[in-house]
Amino acid sequence: MFQDLLNTPLSTVVLITGFILVLIGLWGMLMHKNIIRIIVGFTLMDTGIHMVMVAIGYLTGGKAPIIEGANKNIVYVDPVPSALVLTSIVIGLGITAIMLSYAIQIHKAKKSLSIDDCAEMKW
Amino acid sequence: MVNSLTNPLNIIIITLLSSFLLPLIYQKSEQRAVNLFFAVLAAFVVISLSGYLQLLSGLPTIEVLTAGIEPPFSINLRFGIEEAFVTLAINVAALLGAWYLLPHLKTNAPLMLLFLIWIMGMNGMVMTRDLFNLFIFVEITAISTFVLIGFNRHNETLSAGFKYILAGSLASSFLLLGTMLLYFQTGTLNIDDLVAHQSLLTGPIGTAGLVLIMTAILIELKPYPANGWGLDVYQAAPTGVSALISVGVSASYLFALYKLLPLFDTLLPLIAIAGGLTFVMSNFMGLKQNQATRLLGYSSVGQVGLLVMALALLSQTNQADHYLLIAGGLFINHFLAKAGLFWLAGLAAEKDIKHWSHLKQHPVIFVLFVVLLAALAGLPPFPAFWAKWALVHTLVESQHYIWVGCILLGSLLEAVYLFRWYGYAKSKTNETAIVCQARQTFPIKLMVALLLLCGHAMAINFGLQPERVLLPVYAALAMLLLHKQPSYTKALVTLLITGIFTLQVLPTLTGLSWIFGMIFLVGSWVLTIGSLYKGTEQRPSYYPLLVMLILSLGSLLLATTTLEFFLAWEFMTVSSYLMVSLGKNAEKSSLQYLAFSLAGAFFILAGFALAYSETHSMQLSSFAQLAEHTVMIITLLLFGFLIKLGGLGVHVWLPGVYTDTDDDFTAIMSSIVSKAGLFGLFAVGIHITTQFNDIEALMFVLGWFGLVMALAGALMAVFQEDVKKLLAYSSVGQMGYIITGFALTSHMGWVASMYLAVNHVLYKGLIFLAIAGVLYRTNTRLMYKMGGLIKNMPISFVSVMIGIIAISGVPPLLGFGGKWMMYNALVEKGWYLQTAMAFFASAVAFLYLFRLIHTVFLGQQKTEHADIKEAPITLLIPQVFIMVIILAFSMFPHVLIEPLSTAISPYIASTITWTGHLLETKQGYWNGFMVMNVVAGIFLVPLFILWMLSKVTNIQPVKQFNIVFAAERPESPETTHYAYNFYAFYEKALGFLVKPNAIHFWDASAEWAHSFGAALRRFYTGNGQTYMAIILMYLGIIYLSMRAI
Amino acid sequence: MDIWISKIGYYFLNVGIVLVYGLLLGAFIAKTMARVQGRIGIPIYQPFIDILKTFTKRQAISHGIMFNLGPAFRLAGGLGTLAFIPVIYGNEMFSNFSAAGDLLLVMYFIFFGQLGMALGSGESGHPYAAMGIGRGLAQMTAYEVPFTLAVVAIFIQYDTSSITEIVAAQQGSIWNWTLFTNPLAVIAAMIAFLGMAAYPPFDVAMAPNEIPIGPPTEFHSHFLSMMQMNRAIFAGAKLILFMNLFFGGATGLIELVFKTWAIYMVAILVGAAFPRFRTEQAVRFFLGVPMLIGIASVLYIQYWAQ
Repeated sequence: MFQDLLNTPLSTVVLITGFILVLIGLWGMLMHKNIIRIIVGFTLMDTGIHMVMVAIGYLTGGKAPIIEGANKNIVYVDPVPSALVLTSIVIGLGITAIMLSYAIQIHKAKKSLSIDDCAEMKW
Repeated sequence: MVNSLTNPLNIIIITLLSSFLLPLIYQKSEQRAVNLFFAVLAAFVVISLSGYLQLLSGLPTIEVLTAGIEPPFSINLRFGIEEAFVTLAINVAALLGAWYLLPHLKTNAPLMLLFLIWIMGMNGMVMTRDLFNLFIFVEITAISTFVLIGFNRHNETLSAGFKYILAGSLASSFLLLGTMLLYFQTGTLNIDDLVAHQSLLTGPIGTAGLVLIMTAILIELKPYPANGWGLDVYQAAPTGVSALISVGVSASYLFALYKLLPLFDTLLPLIAIAGGLTFVMSNFMGLKQNQATRLLGYSSVGQVGLLVMALALLSQTNQADHYLLIAGGLFINHFLAKAGLFWLAGLAAEKDIKHWSHLKQHPVIFVLFVVLLAALAGLPPFPAFWAKWALVHTLVESQHYIWVGCILLGSLLEAVYLFRWYGYAKSKTNETAIVCQARQTFPIKLMVALLLLCGHAMAINFGLQPERVLLPVYAALAMLLLHKQPSYTKALVTLLITGIFTLQVLPTLTGLSWIFGMIFLVGSWVLTIGSLYKGTEQRPSYYPLLVMLILSLGSLLLATTTLEFFLAWEFMTVSSYLMVSLGKNAEKSSLQYLAFSLAGAFFILAGFALAYSETHSMQLSSFAQLAEHTVMIITLLLFGFLIKLGGLGVHVWLPGVYTDTDDDFTAIMSSIVSKAGLFGLFAVGIHITTQFNDIEALMFVLGWFGLVMALAGALMAVFQEDVKKLLAYSSVGQMGYIITGFALTSHMGWVASMYLAVNHVLYKGLIFLAIAGVLYRTNTRLMYKMGGLIKNMPISFVSVMIGIIAISGVPPLLGFGGKWMMYNALVEKGWYLQTAMAFFASAVAFLYLFRLIHTVFLGQQKTEHADIKEAPITLLIPQVFIMVIILAFSMFPHVLIEPLSTAISPYIASTITWTGHLLETKQGYWNGFMVMNVVAGIFLVPLFILWMLSKVTNIQPVKQFNIVFAAERPESPETTHYAYNFYAFYEKALGFLVKPNAIHFWDASAEWAHSFGAALRRFYTGNGQTYMAIILMYLGIIYLSMRAI
Repeated sequence: MDIWISKIGYYFLNVGIVLVYGLLLGAFIAKTMARVQGRIGIPIYQPFIDILKTFTKRQAISHGIMFNLGPAFRLAGGLGTLAFIPVIYGNEMFSNFSAAGDLLLVMYFIFFGQLGMALGSGESGHPYAAMGIGRGLAQMTAYEVPFTLAVVAIFIQYDTSSITEIVAAQQGSIWNWTLFTNPLAVIAAMIAFLGMAAYPPFDVAMAPNEIPIGPPTEFHSHFLSMMQMNRAIFAGAKLILFMNLFFGGATGLIELVFKTWAIYMVAILVGAAFPRFRTEQAVRFFLGVPMLIGIASVLYIQYWAQ
């Protein structure tokens, strides 16, 4: 049993960790009233997704996808997800930055960082 | 291959280049930066326009490859005709939107820059064929949206923006995750490649990926109930930004959905449900909304829902040719109208729609407002009208009846809240004028022009001649140019236009159409003369609308296809509604009229669509081939026409409308417009004579319905104090007979029905004109406040007297002919109890007729009315004219009956015979000419006695109160004029029959709809976390339903 | 042309006969009632004296032109109703202008005089006039229901609405009368007749016994004389109509006199025995059992008799 766990491929571990992070992030976004904590929740979720992406592309025992010659026996790691992850990290950063600036502006305007104070419009 | 300058990739390249340049130039000169900004946006337009034109001229789709490698190994963009159309729309809106937003944008170089990037993102979303690339453009668009929403840093905007970010980031996470799962499963990100490898996506991971992507895009399209954040954004964001979110951003997401639809093959029903639910629910909630921008938000959400639903349903039906027409029509309509309205809402700068009456001070803006509302409500000639027509037809054909119901219900609700808004703007509460410059209205004007242009193009697309079928609108718009002229001029121009039109149209008509032509065109022409009496008032919109109404009635006559018919019908509905709304305090009643009329129109639409699904022909004459759905189709059409006729149960709009409209228009409304429903009945009826056996039971019910309506109308009229209400209910009753006549589906029944209709045109026109004069002089509608007016207004009195004799059917006037034929036809058909019922109803009519003439013209005169004058001469001229016609028809009834009989005999064989002036049926005979002569001769006897005695007797005129009144000489007319609660005893006896059940029912329905709307929006707590939770649940529900499928 | 002149001549002969007969009938009824109540009563020629008296009044008051025309309309209504009814079956002299129209014409022409009268008395400004007309009209709407049902039953039975043909169908034997071939219809019609005759219990519109209410309230002098004439003619015309429809018509003057007197006696007898209904009671009454009888007569003819 324990042995089985130890034998779990790294990519699976990353995958599971990623999903757990996504869930933690979601939990944080949904349960915390403080906008800063919500933002932290978001970054956790974002990071989780990135980990999932990387894990999806990874093949056990695969090498870095730098192709030298045409050796069919070498298993390469899929390079695309890694490339995509870079892009989405940048995007995630951008969104986090905007969220934080919104947080600043909200704090300036309302003197509060509670999401409950952002509910003046309804119905 | 591609002209290098107009390569769509340049949109992206130019943006990136200018994003470096703009801040630099801005440092030097603000003006130059603005110039550059507009140059870039103009370049977008030029690129997409030239691409569109090239593609239209038949060039192949432009495929843009990157990195010099073929897809799927590289990212590629596609610029086909659809992409070109959507990007062109987006870029035009962006250019105009930038113009509108310029005062804000130019304060800050990064804002201009963001705006450019924003538009670029939308363009990219439309063009890209790569899933991950799509994600990137989504994020680019999203990030710029977030910033642009928040730039004014108001409390509400910040809240809305933050909620948007939360929802948006969830959606983009779904998208990213879904993309990765699909990649994991198929090893490709290219959309075309994914579609090709769809079989790989059946496993749990593939399914999860698809669900995630679909949910992400749906969420961005703001589906009910996961759209609270979207509504907040629409409400709070600067209107210029809201406009572009509503049209541009939504357009790009819609296009993304459209692109991905082939992937979602198995999910189509879910998508349709999501869209349909959003459409119906958001329109329900719109009913409760008073905030202008939020209302537009509900409308936006609903429209997008409709588009989503249409996309999903149509891709199931595989009707490629309709597909683009419908989706494109709906899309461009929403696009132009919503952008225009958001901008207008910004100019109005008034949040609460109840305070929008300041718009009235600015006629141009007001007209723009009305046109945009009409377009949004899907009224003709705007693109949505055509698209909905085609959509309903396609869906009925593929037997998606429930969806059709959803579309029609949602459209009705939307029209109701949009035109309630118009009603508020129309009402008189706010006198402060709206402040704005021509520069700001320019984009709105352009949108309206584009809407009209698109409508025109759609008409061509549907194989119609726009200059003919859209003539009512163009004529009305042309008349608007005269708005500074005095009322006389406008009335004369109206008479001229409609006169020429009549002379053009009437000779081309034959048979029944010709008779209706006489009613609609000649009748309204005569009644229009009456409107001259308000010559001193400005009435800026009365005459344009009148022209539109009369011309649309004419087009109705010329219609040979269901589409032409429905188009003219809608024009008539809209123009008459707007005319009704011109009356003082007519907000409520006109809205009722619109709601009922549109509901009726939708029934007609459904009926036509069902007929089309059976015969595959839009010709009205193809109704002859109906077999399977005849009863259903006729029932649907009956509902539609009966609503227009004020059928019992749905008559509730009628009294309010007749009361609140201008007095001269009430005459037209009652005597002319109400006949349109009858024309509809006959226009369909003459083609289904061979199927009468199939609808016999239906017609039996209709026959009873008409008679119950006749009785109820008469009874309700008996108990009215308001003279116009009395006449309105009288119309309900008279229409009852006319309907029963139609239901007889026999030659004599139809002749009787038409005869009664012509009769109704004459006497109701006459009485309403006479009453218009009375109201003009007395300034009250309550009959007990009048009395004794015969001395001051003798000609009006004679008019009313002739009118009531004609209604009541007392010989020798022409009313008797109608009753006589009616009873004969009823007996001939074997409807015996119905005959007695008709008699009873006509007896009850005597009560209100006497009350009408007595309490207004006879009895005691009020002191304050001692000096009033006869009605204005312009009102009397048409009255005298009508009286002459009535007397002529009474003297020579065959002049009227013979054309009616010959018009109907081609369809049903005649059962009446003429011998000279003698009219004979199987049962009875009637010689109208002889009756007239005998009565005239006999009348000489008492007249002679009277004359003789007046020679020998001293006839002494006495003063008003010189009566024997319980040995007392009364002195106050108020206490002596027996008028108020005239038939108290009758109310005791039979009043229980006419409890206002119908009114209560409809009021309760309206209340229920509003409460339902209120309950639906309980989801929208305003809390961002709740919204996120709903989004997650939405995902879960979609996933579970997916598993269930 | 000659035909028309002789027709007009015959018509006025009819009018004269019906007028004299109507006045005599009225006096006879009054006398009968008086004797029933133990009084001597009026002489039989009293109505003639009354008309003469009102005709020769030297002064009249007028409230306006419509007021003056009211009695003229009223009288024309009575004359016209008579004009469209064939008085004696099978006699050209007494067929009047019944060629102009059928029963429906007569039923609607009855309203002509009433409407004109209503307008005329309305101009007087007297509230009682309007009140009386309102009550009368209300009652009219109600009694028309059983009457119409009876008429419809006759339509079905004889398959015609021509009065002459209806009478023709009843000739031959007393058992051919509608009274015996369609008794339900006759019962319904006779109940309606009580309302039409405006005797108790349906006399609330005129209320002749106490304060005078109703159209004639303000009319004096020769206006009144015209109305008295009309009352005789109109009553006669209605009686003849009922006789024609339900009691086999008349082939001679004697038969006419006897039958119409008998029909009138029905109203008198009922009137002598009953108190007065209020308007709403009268309306409800006619729309109750009499209406059901009328419906029964239609259904009977429609489904059983044929």
